[in-house]
Parts: sequence; structure tokens; C-alpha cells
Amino acid sequence: MIFLPELIVVVCAVAILLTDLWLDERRRVILAPMAAIGLVVAMASLIISVPQNGLTLGGRFSVDPVGWWFKVFFLLSGLITILISLDLLDGRVGVRMRGIGFRGEYYTVLLATILGMMVLVSARDLITLYVSLELATMPLFVLTAWRRDDAQSGEAGMKYVIFGAMASACMLYGLGLLYGLTGSTALTAIDRQLANMPAFWLATAMLVAGIGFKLTIVPFHFWAADVYQGAPAPVTAYLSVASKGAGLAFAFQILYRWMDGWIADAAVGVAVFAALTMTLGNTVAIVQHNIKRFMAFSAISQAGYLVMGFVGGLPEGIPAMLFYLLVYAVTNLAVFACIVWFSNQTGKEQIEDYRGLARTNPLIALTMMLGLFSLAGIPPLSGFVGKFFLFSVASKAGFHWLVAVAAVNSTISLYYYLRIVRQMYIEPADKDSTRLPITPTLAATLMVLSATQLLMGIIPSLYETISSQTLAWLAR
Amino acid sequence: MIQYLAEHGPGLIHWLILSNVLFAIGIYGLLSRRNAIGILMSVELMLNSAAMNAVVFNRFLTPRAVDGEILALFVIAVAAAEAVVALAIFVALFRNRSSIDVNRMDSLKG
Repeated sequence: MIFLPELIVVVCAVAILLTDLWLDERRRVILAPMAAIGLVVAMASLIISVPQNGLTLGGRFSVDPVGWWFKVFFLLSGLITILISLDLLDGRVGVRMRGIGFRGEYYTVLLATILGMMVLVSARDLITLYVSLELATMPLFVLTAWRRDDAQSGEAGMKYVIFGAMASACMLYGLGLLYGLTGSTALTAIDRQLANMPAFWLATAMLVAGIGFKLTIVPFHFWAADVYQGAPAPVTAYLSVASKGAGLAFAFQILYRWMDGWIADAAVGVAVFAALTMTLGNTVAIVQHNIKRFMAFSAISQAGYLVMGFVGGLPEGIPAMLFYLLVYAVTNLAVFACIVWFSNQTGKEQIEDYRGLARTNPLIALTMMLGLFSLAGIPPLSGFVGKFFLFSVASKAGFHWLVAVAAVNSTISLYYYLRIVRQMYIEPADKDSTRLPITPTLAATLMVLSATQLLMGIIPSLYETISSQTLAWLAR
Repeated sequence: MIQYLAEHGPGLIHWLILSNVLFAIGIYGLLSRRNAIGILMSVELMLNSAAMNAVVFNRFLTPRAVDGEILALFVIAVAAAEAVVALAIFVALFRNRSSIDVNRMDSLKG
């Protein structure tokens, strides 16, 4: 059964929703462990029982090494998101936020998006692809607007749902045109001859808009800052990691299954998008004051680096991208765990509020600094290794100017990540500031994330495994 | 007259133009409406034009298969779900702000 992990996620989601009905409010704390265990079991079943090659349901659902690693990524980021959101939802916070709660629904909806993303990478059929993409996207609208009594959360949800629906309509139009051009809904390589038809170009433009929206590629990034700022902090964390991974998975599905064999023709376009995205994300992040908005632009620039894996359509691009995605998940969620913790304890979200954090909570400040440095790509942290592989792909494809732009951008990003580090380490703390408490779950999550993030940069076996498995499949 | 219409029925291209026009009207509405409900209606128009595309292609290119029609059915279901989510968010927002005018949604800025 190659869809066993998906099945487990569905069963877990339904079980949480039903359990939620029977429990009184005080006992609902068990829902978060249920969701976490469900994801761990799904991950275990994925690793133990799912072969890396296989298809079922008449070839409409299939697993290959790339999809397999994407699923590992989705389950991992979902699990970490649950671990960092349970304090907020269970009310173990210093400052009570209005309108958060509804735990059973929250975890159900979160598991639904994870399910959508997992089916998305396995879809081999246009209809499955479209429905699973919507399943991955629509719960995110709900999660963004989760704080029902908060006008900002609602506003973010409204912006997200309008732009998201528009993007999905554009994408559907593109998919429909491609269906018309090929006459079949199967996701198989289409004839290169089609590239001469204007309808094909219209379809490509529509698909680029849809993919760009999910991946926050400039010029389709404009929704990200507002949505990330308004959403509850754990949801922002999930949006910046998993949703981006889903966009990448979707781009992979389109580029490597439909346009297989001639994505190299689009190399210049991909390179320009990557360069624009990282440059805009980095330059605008410099002037931000709200930390969630800041992380939004940081995530936009990271999407620019990730897209470099598609440049030239080289097979090496895929393992580099998958590895960076995993590194990005661990690193970015480590930083977000600190942000979630800080906003839980103080209710503050401005970068200036972090001043003197190294005096009051030195360990958390240290993990946050490590995470930020890894995002900036300082050796020996994992972010550096991930970026190195991506840059070498672009260089191998002959895009040396792109590597130069990316290197300059990494330097810029170091500047603005250091702004936070400066607030934490150099600026004096407020006189009345005291040590802030941290819950055991969050502390353990943070520790594991930081350790993983360090190890991924030092131990090469993860990249080698991904690389040998995916390259063997891509070369077949 | 009826004889003429039967012989000169609309072809693939006419239906495609119709769906394209619908899509364009949807985009126009999306950009020009100030009320969030109006924007949602425009988005539904865009989704429906895409669904119509699928049905039209199915009818003219592969009349024996039903892939496009099934796609259209799923699009209708997804559009309904989308409308539910969007309306729920708009209702929650209206409770807080007493307005769903998108021009006044400017509290999030950097």
C-alpha cells in the first residue's frame, strides 16, 4: 500500500475531529499529542513500508524518490508546526491572545493541508493534481484567519483567500488549456511541437502565475508580507515552510513531468525569476520592523535560492533543492520556534522588542542566532551547505551571473539577519526585563532543531542519500 | 432559420472565445470591485470559465472520454468549498470591522 502514510493522516485528522466532540475543554490537551503521534506514525510507515518506486489506482497515484523525499519534508514540517503551536493553542502563554483556540479543528485543518501536499507530489493526473493542490491551499486560508476576534488575522485571511482563489483560477485555466492541447489528463511528457502554439504560451503564463503565487516568486509575492504578518505565529511558520515546499512540489510536477526533456529551454526565465525574487526579498527585508513581516521577505529571498535548483533542468538540481528544502524547514522552523515563544510570552512582534534577549534568555538567543546565521548561509551551518549545492547547480548550468547575484544577496541577507542578532546581543535590555519562562515541549523542540541543523551541515550522509536515490531515478 | 442554426452551430473556437471573455470579465471584476463579496463572485466567474474550457475541450477533442467533464465537476465542488471558506472569513472580518470594503483593509503594513 503505497498510500498508507496518506491514509494514516486522513484517519488521524478524522479521529481528532471526532474526539474533539466528546471531550470537554480541559481534556482537549490530548489532541496535540494525537496529531503529533499520527504524523510520526505516518512518517514511520513512509520510511518502512513505502517503496521508493511504485504506482497504484491505475497509475494515477505514484511514488518516486523525489516525491518520497517531498513527503518526508511535508510530514516533518507538519510535525514541527504542531509542536510549536501547541503552547499557544493550549493557553500556556504569558500573554493571553484573544480568539485563539478551537484545537480540534486547528489540528484537523492542519493535517488536511499536509494530506493535500502529500497527494500533490504523488498525483499523476491533472484532476488529482488540481484537487490536491486546492486541498493543500484552502485550509491555509482558514488557518491564517484563525484568530477569529482579531481584525488583523481576519484581514490577512481575506487577502490570502482573494489572491489565492485568483491564483488557483489562473492556474486552472492554464491546466485546462494544456488538457485541451494534449487531449488527455495524464501528467506525461508533452510534445515539444506544442511550444509553437500561442495557446501553449498562454497556458504557461497562467501556470507560472499560479506556481509563482505559491512559491512567492516576484512579481507574485505581494500577498506574502501581509498574510505572514497577520496570521498567528505558528501558522506563519507553517506557511513559510510547508506552503513553499508545496509550491516547489507543484513546480516540479509541471516542469519534470509535463515539460520533461525541454525545461532547459526555460533556463533563462527561471534564472531571471530567481534573481528578481532573491534581490527584492533581501532588499525589502532590510527596512522591516515587524519580525513576522521581516521573516516573510526573508522567506521570499529563500524561495529565490530554491528556484535556482530548476535552472537548466540539470538532474543535480533536484537533490540540491530537496536538501535545501529540508535544511530550510529545520532552520526556519527553529527561528520561528523562537519567534512563537517570544510572542507567546510577551505578545510583542517588533524586532526592537528583542533587545537584550541574550541577557535574559541566553540559550534561546543562541539558538535563534544559529538559525539566523544558517539562513544567511554561514559555514559550517547547514544553510551554507545547502546554498553551496544550489549555487553549484546554477554554475554548472552556465549561469555564472546568477551565482554572483546570489552571493551578493547572501551578503545582504547577513546584514539584516545581524540586525536581530544585534538587538539580542548588543543592545541593553530594558531595566524591568526578566527571564522569560519556556515550556518543556518548546525547549525540547528547539534543542532538537538546533542540533539537527548543525549536524546536517557537518554530516554529509543525508545529502548523499538524497542525491544517489534521486539521481538514479532521474537518470533512468 | 432553425435549419441554418443547426448547420452553423458554434465550433470549438467560439466556445473558447466565450470562456476567455468570461475569464476577462472575472479579472476586470476582481480588480474593480471594492466589496469583498463582489470580488468573490468575480473569482467564481474565472473558475467557471476554466471549467467551461475543460468541458468544451472534452466535447470537441475527445467526445468518447469524460476526463474534462469530470474535471469540471471537481472544479464546481472546489469552487463551492472556496466560497464557503471565503464567506466564513468575510463574516468573521465583518464582525470585527463592520465592513468588508477591501479599500479599507490597510491595517497590515511594514
